[in-house]
Amino acid sequence: MERRFTVFRFIAYSLELLLLFVLQTTPSLLPEIYGGKPLLMIPAVMTIAFMEEQIPAMFFGLAGGALLDFGYSDTLGYYTIMLTIICFVISFIFRDYMVVSFLNAMGFTALITAALVSLYFIFFIALAGKGGLMYYVSHYISRIVYTIVCTVPLYFINKFLFRNLMDF
Amino acid sequence: MRDFFADKNRRILAIALAVVIFVAVMGAMGNPWVSSAFNYMTKGLSSVSAAVTSAADEKTYDELVEENKKLSKEAADLRTQLVDYYDLKDENARLWKYYNITKSNPDFQILPANVIRRDSNDEFYSFTIDAGTNSGIELQDPVITENGLIGFVSSVNAASGKVTTVLSPDFQAGALAKKTSDNGIVTGNSSYSDQGLTTLAKIDAAAKIQKGDIVVSSGIGGIYPANLIVGKVRELRIDEYDATKFAVVEPYEDIKKVTDVVVLTDFKNKGEVKQAATGEAR
Repeated sequence: MERRFTVFRFIAYSLELLLLFVLQTTPSLLPEIYGGKPLLMIPAVMTIAFMEEQIPAMFFGLAGGALLDFGYSDTLGYYTIMLTIICFVISFIFRDYMVVSFLNAMGFTALITAALVSLYFIFFIALAGKGGLMYYVSHYISRIVYTIVCTVPLYFINKFLFRNLMDF
Repeated sequence: MRDFFADKNRRILAIALAVVIFVAVMGAMGNPWVSSAFNYMTKGLSSVSAAVTSAADEKTYDELVEENKKLSKEAADLRTQLVDYYDLKDENARLWKYYNITKSNPDFQILPANVIRRDSNDEFYSFTIDAGTNSGIELQDPVITENGLIGFVSSVNAASGKVTTVLSPDFQAGALAKKTSDNGIVTGNSSYSDQGLTTLAKIDAAAKIQKGDIVVSSGIGGIYPANLIVGKVRELRIDEYDATKFAVVEPYEDIKKVTDVVVLTDFKNKGEVKQAATGEAR
């Protein structure tokens, strides 16, 4: 009874992730911009992690990463591990050392999204000989920017859920 | 290291990561149960995604109207092509038949024609063809099909000609029974024309013609070439007026329904009687 709203909040987060997964994996639903589509799971789990405690943040990071990985391929991997760790760390930082604000959230999300996607490109595209710098510029820059832009609504949605479904 | 894991959250993180890495390695090694499990779990989501995709692919009303117009036009074009195809196919089949006619009768000059009109008032089933004097047709030219003689051109203008059939009393041609050489005159009879039958009249009383004999044109008179099949004898009767014998002849062609014919514009010995008569007069 004491944690009733927390359960509802987690259910809401889960439904949100599933909805975003459908949005992300449905062809021609989200428009492509310069060949790029947003990786909605990254800002979604990060904005959750800004507000939640470490363990829930970590599990939502794991779930979002798994959905991202399975959206790309049929196996867990890069995004699952990275988002699990990142969400855990973000939650730790923002619980003890930083204040959650829109600017902080945008800055962190932009930085981490750019790093995550760029590292993905380096490890899985460039080092695999599938594409070079031009490919990164033509496909990955737009993807990073598109993802960062999507952080704005997701931040406010998750903030709304956190504030309105909180156990006092 | 021990200090790092002293924190409960960090231990959970480590365990979670260990599980994830284990599953990732298993998946990378090609173990299908991870992806199978995930696919099973996300099957519902995939259905939703597919349904949304299907909905997203649906066209607007205006697009559907436009597409409908385009498809209707394509269908009309294809129907026209299909009709053209059938026309060409029919014409090809017809030309093959005519080729066979000229092959067996090298002296025949033929002109294929289509039946364009039937006179519903004419009880002897005359019809109009789409060829006239411009095509080289003359009065009294024989009209045949691959099944034999069916009539003659009884009137003609520049673009069309009227054909009087063998069912009409106006048709008169010398003919004989091929087997017995008994001769007579093929002419229509109002008593038999409704049944699509004609007659071989004026047969000698002593003639040996029998039921089933084939009747062909005799060629006498120069209007019809010799040996054009008219039909086969169906029955033999006696004329109630002049007591002569006549044969009821069943043409091989269904004259009531014929749609394409051949006009013989020239053949060996054509018009020899007329020319001879003209020569004597001079």
